[in-house]
Amino acid sequence: MTATPLQADAGRPIRPPRSRLLPLGLVVSAAITWWAASDDFGVGFSLGEIIDNLTRGHRVLREVLSPNWAFFPQTVDPLLETFKMAIIASVIGCGVALPLSFLASKVTTPNSVTYLVDRGVLNVIRALPDLLYALVLVTAIGIGPLAGIIALILFNLAVTAKLLSETIDGVDTGPSEAAWAGGASRTQMIRSSVFPQILPNYIAYVLYVFELNVRASAVIGLVGAGGIGFVLQVQMGFFAYENVAVIVAELFVAVFLIELVSIRLRRRLV
Amino acid sequence: MIEFDKASVTYPGGVQALVDLDLIIEAGQLVVIVGLSGAGKSTLIRAINGLVPLSGGTVRVDGRDVGRASGRELRAIRSRVGMIFQTFNLVKRTSVLNNVLMGRLHATPTWRSMIGWYRRRDIELAMQALERVGIVEKAYVRAANLSGGQQQRVGIARALAQDPKIILADEPVASLDPPTSHVVMRDLQRINHELGMTTVVNLHFLDLAKVYGERIIGMRGGRLVYDGTAHDANEQVFRDIYGRSLTADDVLDSPAA
Repeated sequence: MTATPLQADAGRPIRPPRSRLLPLGLVVSAAITWWAASDDFGVGFSLGEIIDNLTRGHRVLREVLSPNWAFFPQTVDPLLETFKMAIIASVIGCGVALPLSFLASKVTTPNSVTYLVDRGVLNVIRALPDLLYALVLVTAIGIGPLAGIIALILFNLAVTAKLLSETIDGVDTGPSEAAWAGGASRTQMIRSSVFPQILPNYIAYVLYVFELNVRASAVIGLVGAGGIGFVLQVQMGFFAYENVAVIVAELFVAVFLIELVSIRLRRRLV
Repeated sequence: MIEFDKASVTYPGGVQALVDLDLIIEAGQLVVIVGLSGAGKSTLIRAINGLVPLSGGTVRVDGRDVGRASGRELRAIRSRVGMIFQTFNLVKRTSVLNNVLMGRLHATPTWRSMIGWYRRRDIELAMQALERVGIVEKAYVRAANLSGGQQQRVGIARALAQDPKIILADEPVASLDPPTSHVVMRDLQRINHELGMTTVVNLHFLDLAKVYGERIIGMRGGRLVYDGTAHDANEQVFRDIYGRSLTADDVLDSPAA
């Protein structure tokens, strides 16, 4: 095939100049990463240090690799407590998150005041990590699962409302228009046209949050907020890594099982 | 009866979609509005049920001023005006019956709609609406599993379930193939004749407009440029409405077919 450039070029637009933003962005992010890791300005990150110190942890590693299964019965009740805490916190946190999510999306919120106030409150709640909530609550109401549950509720509320309000932003607004045109109130519009669209996502988020809670219980238990994490803290205090290994294995299995169940549930729902 | 009195709509950004429109649509009429896209057809229809607020003038539905109506009054006006959309606007994940029941929300207390527990009387009305458009057997099927023509009939049933006095249809056949378009237009015509509902339909196909419109209103640049019978709307009239000579794209059924 012979090219006939003169004819082919007629009427074709000239290629617009390429944006220099992407290469610039890549260079800037590389520079920032180098700055953060460098010895002089940053935290002095080097892989060599990890390898140099690897042998130092060999006692810990050896004990972790030979778990003391006799310790298992002592972990059953705390593990169940963790599950109970996660269930309560997921139900309450995600339940409260649902109406707050509708207020936090432009698609469903009644006016800009409710939108901004609700967004502001959610941002404040989300700004603090769950560990900090647990620490404060343990100080305020004492050691035990109640502090942990409240910390998890706040965390669940913030995470679910964030994910869900963004899902609501993306729904098809055609059915909402139909509901308005039919004389529905805002609550009825949301219930009949928006809620059915977000339901599968909502259930997926609840399951995900539940999984996060089981995992988080290991961390918030460290500050005395109940559950398996509390046992973990005690055993680590005794340097009983063969017992710690049992707890880690249990958490691994628990998270894996929850993931299996939620995949099945989600597949049915979509 | 629908009365436009010097009605204007200017969108943010300055686009004038309606300019000083005066128009009266008598109860029971079947009116077809024609015009190019951007002529203001959709805005005209949405001004009737207040989905688009006027920036000047008034629209009255059965004597009630749509622009002045408060939240509750506006919902009361809307409950008497059913609407059908180009893209059907169904909740695709839920059943046909649930979609049609959206037409009964205006008569359902909030607590009942929250738990999805509609009154038996309202479910009966929804079923009757589905029977009228001939797809009652699909009541418990997911809306997403229906063809385009069937989905639009669910849309019509949803409007009918409101038990309205007026039906608004915004390009109801623009997403459908020619044979299905005629089925849907005949449904609308039948509803107008049998139930006496005032029907306002936006169309951009001239042949459909001439076949189904008793009265044709031509829009151009937000202004009314023709108002008369389908019989009097000849090619010259349509050329005035469209501001250009007509092409094969302006009709649904090409002459060759």
